[in-house]
Amino acid sequence: MDGAPSKGVLSHLNLLEVLARSRKSQPQQHSRVNELKAKAAALMKQRDQLKAEIQTHQNLQKLRTSMDRQNSNDEEDEMDDDSENSENSQLLRLMARHTQLKDLLDAHHLIGGYDVIKTSRGKGVCVSLATAYEGVYLDTYNLEIDMKPKLRISRHNIPPFIPLNDLAEQSNMETNIKDFLDLLSRHLNAFAGRKQQLKIVKEELKSIEVMESNVLCSILVLMFTVPRQKTAVLCTLDYTDHTRCLPTRVHFDSEDQELPNSPEWKKNCSLLKETPVHKAIITMKKMGHIV
Amino acid sequence: MDDLSRRLLQRLVRRIPAQALKTTLGKWDRLTAAQRQSVDFTQPKWTITETLLAIFEENEWTMKHVTELEMIHIIDNPNQGMWYAFQLMDPEDDAKSVELTQFKEQFKAHLSELVRHVSVKIKKHTDEAVWIRIAWGDSFSRPNHMKPTYVVHHLQTPYVFVTSLTSKQKPLLSQALILSTRHQGIKDANLSGRKLAAIRDLLMKQYQQVFPTKYPGTLTEKNQTVSNPRIEREQAELGENRFQMACEAFGDGMLPQLQSAIYKLETKFRDHTNKTMTEREELPFKCVVKFSSTNLLESLRECAASGIASTPVTPLLSSIPLKGRNYFVITDNGLGPSSQTNQPQN
Amino acid sequence: MFKIVSGFVRYNTTIRMERQHSSVVRTPLDSVKVQRRSKSRSYRQSYRSCLGAASRLGSTPAFTARRLNTSRKAPKLHNITEKVNAEQLALLMKSEWKLSYVTPLYQFRHTQLKSYSRQLSAFIAAEKQQGLAVEVEGSQNSFRVSFSAVQGMAGTDDDAETVLIQIHSKSIFARQDEHQRLIWSGWLTCINGNPDYLRSLPKDFICLPLFGSSGSEVLTSSVQSWFQQNFDCCFGPLEISHTSLQWLVALWTNCHTESNIQHLKMIWSIPVVPPLQITYTVNPQDAWDLWNSVRKSPQEEKETEEEEGRSIDIEEVMQFMQGLKSHFYRHFRLDLSAGSLKQVSTALGSAKYNGRIKISNSKYMITTLTLLTEGALLKMPI
Repeated sequence: MDGAPSKGVLSHLNLLEVLARSRKSQPQQHSRVNELKAKAAALMKQRDQLKAEIQTHQNLQKLRTSMDRQNSNDEEDEMDDDSENSENSQLLRLMARHTQLKDLLDAHHLIGGYDVIKTSRGKGVCVSLATAYEGVYLDTYNLEIDMKPKLRISRHNIPPFIPLNDLAEQSNMETNIKDFLDLLSRHLNAFAGRKQQLKIVKEELKSIEVMESNVLCSILVLMFTVPRQKTAVLCTLDYTDHTRCLPTRVHFDSEDQELPNSPEWKKNCSLLKETPVHKAIITMKKMGHIV
Repeated sequence: MDDLSRRLLQRLVRRIPAQALKTTLGKWDRLTAAQRQSVDFTQPKWTITETLLAIFEENEWTMKHVTELEMIHIIDNPNQGMWYAFQLMDPEDDAKSVELTQFKEQFKAHLSELVRHVSVKIKKHTDEAVWIRIAWGDSFSRPNHMKPTYVVHHLQTPYVFVTSLTSKQKPLLSQALILSTRHQGIKDANLSGRKLAAIRDLLMKQYQQVFPTKYPGTLTEKNQTVSNPRIEREQAELGENRFQMACEAFGDGMLPQLQSAIYKLETKFRDHTNKTMTEREELPFKCVVKFSSTNLLESLRECAASGIASTPVTPLLSSIPLKGRNYFVITDNGLGPSSQTNQPQN
Repeated sequence: MFKIVSGFVRYNTTIRMERQHSSVVRTPLDSVKVQRRSKSRSYRQSYRSCLGAASRLGSTPAFTARRLNTSRKAPKLHNITEKVNAEQLALLMKSEWKLSYVTPLYQFRHTQLKSYSRQLSAFIAAEKQQGLAVEVEGSQNSFRVSFSAVQGMAGTDDDAETVLIQIHSKSIFARQDEHQRLIWSGWLTCINGNPDYLRSLPKDFICLPLFGSSGSEVLTSSVQSWFQQNFDCCFGPLEISHTSLQWLVALWTNCHTESNIQHLKMIWSIPVVPPLQITYTVNPQDAWDLWNSVRKSPQEEKETEEEEGRSIDIEEVMQFMQGLKSHFYRHFRLDLSAGSLKQVSTALGSAKYNGRIKISNSKYMITTLTLLTEGALLKMPI
């Protein structure tokens, strides 16, 4: 309407009409007041509620601090006695405990589920990385990380063939510690897994001779024997990807030059690439491909 | 069998105790049962030598076989001289895929290129270690088997352990190692000792390190007797704390048997009770401190646990296991390749 | 128990440590004095009385350290090369000597040395025949003993002349002109012995309290038992105490400007399991600078300095040691006072706690032997 030309008589009349109409609605003003009153009451109620909530929250905070303090001191329960028995206070306490646990859980998620504790000198943290393979817990590795003046690994027990510094650089440890820990954990778990596989092969599959292996368990040379012909097959497993327990390359060498190209050994090849070596060997034995 | 191999065999038999010799010959696995029985280990050494020489002659065995025997013995008894650690640097991309056969070939090829007469023998030990025996010669002389260098390396790790290496041979060995392990450099790791296992375990972190834990009290301190019960608790707490810190610095349980550590100190003399010395112009107070013990790390751990050394342990001492070094040059500004900045608070 | 102390002189600790060490070595002394005769008692008591009233408290060897002089003259350049026979001097500097103390010798005569040579030769031969002496050089060898006086080796006129004993071995089958091998040597000396004490000795006694030997233990004990039988004396092991070693650290360092000490090397042993040994080697110039910085202001003594050389006070020695220890502590946070000093060496000589000494520079031989004479006199049992 604003855009309409305001000079014409008709438009003036129109304006008057609108004004007249609005007069008619004046009785409604009463209800408007009521409405506002109700609104005020509602707001007041909300204020009280918020006040109460603040109060509760403050209580909760107080409780939390005292709870946290107790946890760290490991002392006996010394809560405010006056509120001890009321149902409210019990509820409050449960709520506080709930927030506490929730925070812990958040923190745990934040660090990617690693065990982290503050070091005694308080300068940094100590992270434990547990390794496991097929549900068996293996070695646990530790890293002591200084937080100040900058993030720095100060001490660890990770063997030198895991390129710790390269991994730290690669994953931008200083800005993204979680990525770094994830990458390191993958390396360590894969190493533990390969080591465990080798151990199983050595201990439980005595008919297979381990010709060569290295400390990182990234190269494995095995000697298989084909049952009837007694042909020896040299099998080289190359674990180029150090974050995996499976080889990236499988290679056979045999006096019988045709053998590696035979369909059953081609199958063996893909089996070894897709299954952990000890399991692959068991399958190959069952199929009667090797002794 | 030539004169040299005869002399080497004689020396070998003379040096190895009779029982150890029996074990070594067993492991060597070249003698027939009859030959084994013909050697009487209760006889004097020269008789044993005669018998063995006869067997060697009979089989037409040569220097190669004598050195095999020597290697087996040295691998089992490596603590016969000073071992020095070196560290390979800047691996090439293919360094992690170097495998034994390739390494053997490359190492021999590179070394023979550098030295005209050299005899190299490489053997893989059961603990994944590659043992290298080098008998050095030069353009005019044949390899000297009486003074071989021994090198121990675990493929895919940056460390190399060496014994009986002269400064003249060092660059040659370094070059061959760098090329055959696919690295770009090698440096002195400033760690040496008579016990190969100790320096290896220290660098490979194969000993029990202690980290802060949520579950304290797993470390148990031995022989702690405090007579006064009133001070007992406080004492015990302090003691426990010290013990924890001592273990965090040096490790728990049996520790690698390092026997010494040397510090070359070139730092200013600072002592608030001695103005003259403290104000001495820019001159460092030069001294050399050597710590020695049959097991240095265990001694130091006890020093810290008992309070003879204050806790937390100074970085100078905890650097031994932390950095895997036992030779340090300490200056105030940390210049020099093997130095370390040190500003201990007083 | 061990507090962080840096820059404080810790006399208490030093003395306490001293006591522990001395008490350990007490037993052999007690066993040595079993066969004493009454006449020897008089002189032994008299040495204690010479030291004044305080010494009566010191009835155990444990107090030895404390009763050492607390102040001594700075080592003067003693040009004994002019006074002492060069060959004898060379012999004294050639070996490391194992030290013992000897109580005063009854009726020992410097005029009888030739006859003593014969007697001791016969004594050793007899012991050998009885099978008492374990074979040293094979049974076909014979021994030739020679006693000689070392003229000019003395601090004052009260000191008895030093006696040198040498034992040569000679194969029975050897030709007459064949060189005889020196297989054992030893000496008895007294340098700057307490004059009051020396003068108080009865006329028939000669005091040569410091005995040094080098060679087989068997011959040492033969020589000792011959002396015991003939001069009614007794021998006992002489350690170089923690305090004496600290004195040597200072005395030797003090010489640096006149005769380069090359290095000041000290070996401490720390009582942990397994035992820890700390070798602390200081640059000679830096050691001297530190020593110079703890010397009391030189002006006070300027006059005497020119004549005699400034005297050195035990407090200066302790401050010097404390300076060395605090520099060490600042780096390693390890308190050397918890251990004990076991060995000191410089280019001038080396001294070990187990009583072994080597003097490599003749100029400072008198100074060193003065300190050791004092230690030997104190170590003699009551």
